[in-house]
Amino acid sequence: MVSLARKNLFEDKVRFLVAEAGIVFAVGLVTIQVGILHGFTRSTALLIDRSRADIWVASNDAINLDLTSPISYDRLRQAQKVAGVAQAEPLTVQGAVWRGSNGELNTVRLIGFDPNGTLLTPGTITAGKQSDLNQPYSIMVDSTDLQSLGLQQVNNTGQVGSFRAQVVGFTKGIQSNADSPFLLTSLQSAKAYSCSHSVSTATPVTSPPLNALTPQDSINFILVQAQPGQDLQALKQRLDAALPGTHAYTRQEFADKTEYYWEKRTSVGFILGLGAIVGVIVGSVIVSQILYASVTDHVREFGTIKAMGASDWKTYSIIVEQSLWMALFGYIPAMIACIGLGAWTATTQAVLILITPVTAAGIFVVAVVMCTGAALVAIQKATRVEPGVVFRA
Amino acid sequence: MSITHKLQSLQPISPESRTKSQLQPEIAIAANNVSMTIQSPAGQVPVLKGISLEVKRGTVHLLMGPSGAGKTTLLLILSGLLSPSAGNVLLLGEDITTLSRRQQERFRLQHIGFVAQDFNLFPALTAIENVLFALVLKGLRGKIARQSAQHLLEQVGLVEKADHLPRELSGGQQQRVAIARALANQPQLIMADEPTASLDSHSGRAVMELLQNLTREQGCTVLMVTHDSRIVEMANQVTQLEDGMISITQIIPRLGDEQ
Repeated sequence: MVSLARKNLFEDKVRFLVAEAGIVFAVGLVTIQVGILHGFTRSTALLIDRSRADIWVASNDAINLDLTSPISYDRLRQAQKVAGVAQAEPLTVQGAVWRGSNGELNTVRLIGFDPNGTLLTPGTITAGKQSDLNQPYSIMVDSTDLQSLGLQQVNNTGQVGSFRAQVVGFTKGIQSNADSPFLLTSLQSAKAYSCSHSVSTATPVTSPPLNALTPQDSINFILVQAQPGQDLQALKQRLDAALPGTHAYTRQEFADKTEYYWEKRTSVGFILGLGAIVGVIVGSVIVSQILYASVTDHVREFGTIKAMGASDWKTYSIIVEQSLWMALFGYIPAMIACIGLGAWTATTQAVLILITPVTAAGIFVVAVVMCTGAALVAIQKATRVEPGVVFRA
Repeated sequence: MSITHKLQSLQPISPESRTKSQLQPEIAIAANNVSMTIQSPAGQVPVLKGISLEVKRGTVHLLMGPSGAGKTTLLLILSGLLSPSAGNVLLLGEDITTLSRRQQERFRLQHIGFVAQDFNLFPALTAIENVLFALVLKGLRGKIARQSAQHLLEQVGLVEKADHLPRELSGGQQQRVAIARALANQPQLIMADEPTASLDSHSGRAVMELLQNLTREQGCTVLMVTHDSRIVEMANQVTQLEDGMISITQIIPRLGDEQ
């Protein structure tokens, strides 16, 4: 059936395209801000999400992956004895200072784990093998951090503290946007690095032989794989009881806890949310102006429609339909552009602009609400048009 | 011959026949002591002063007079598009001045078609889409609506121009499309404001003949504001307004007309 709303909207193609450019910008801004926020918070938990552990055991006061107190290495042995535990592996997470071959300093996050284990997966290995980390003072880095670490290829070296570090492989898919570059290494290497001190020169000191961890050593997490068919909640409670001073989380719970910290307890969520709100305001103003101008240009038509006996709802429906078309034609190119941008930034910058189907649907709703809300001003004008204009020259 | 001379040569209507106590069934439009006052910076300005008027069903009735006489204002009031300051208006027996705004809208939708000087077509819609719009407003949909729109364009002789935009049509053609659209709701009343003013004599005559045919064949009543003296002979009755009051109301006799 004939759509006066659509035809009037597309009548002036140039004006329509200019208006849509504004809406694409607004929707794109909202999408990018929300996508960056989701991507950012999701990246903080990538290491957790990609692990094969069913349960993460941390200290009672753990806040997130980076912010937690150490727990005794002896807890690992105790955890392995808890009924329902199929496997348990230790994990250390600690900060350190990196000096690249170019002499530049950088802060890094050392992830110490068992290279022969299976519960922590160092992302997608793109060069080398996980078992290569059994070599003393060897590291694996995320390929998007190469430039910042002054590295180009496998076998390049640098320093962690005062000890030498040799790159044995590259990985991708676990780097947190909220954190320093991750250096994956063995538990023994991590223990040695934690005892090293930064030196003022680029010449590393001789690295001492590595020692195995002892019950007196500290770790940060115990990764637990449950036996098949285990009730994870019940297993958590048993672990809590068996390991005083610690708390057990399911993988999802700990990932959520980490993401929650970054989203709600830092200013990241507020700043990015503010950006999204600005996008909505910009889009509303643009749509409002365009629809108001459209009603002004077509005031005689609205008067004629009223003279013909149409109710106010008919007038509203025309303007609302126009706003919906504007929302749709602004949303589609904006979303395509943002998905493309997200793919590029993820590949080249390790910045995750996360646009899930739920996010995309939510932003479509925002676009519709933004455009139909902006139509209110135009509706007000159209409602006040006198049907008598039908007879006025 | 000037309009005034023409009117004076015709049979006048006595004042007593204009006043009424009861609406006769053959009366389509009746104004009873209608007045209109508007607010201006200079104060209250009377535009219409005690207008009483009757228009018979199935006739073409002209409202004529100099600019500023109140013709269009009266037409707006008699169409239900403007509320008078005083008096009442009966259309097809219904006192529209007592109806709510929504009731007036429904009445117009069911009973009244409008034809304006500037055609008031929707410029983004083709001829057939303009007519379809009115049909959809009335509640028709799909194939039936499309067929009805084509039939209406056939009636006005423009079915071959159905897919043309208004800017691709001549003035006369646009006016005929406007008439087709006005007929979409099968109105019993057609209110027209200077429908031939923007047209050449040939097109204007064609439009008038169309309106005349509607009164004869479909029993429509046409109330028209016009300055065009060429079409007086095509009307059944003429009311001359001056300074907001009726100065003359004349019946235009023609052979075979029932008055």
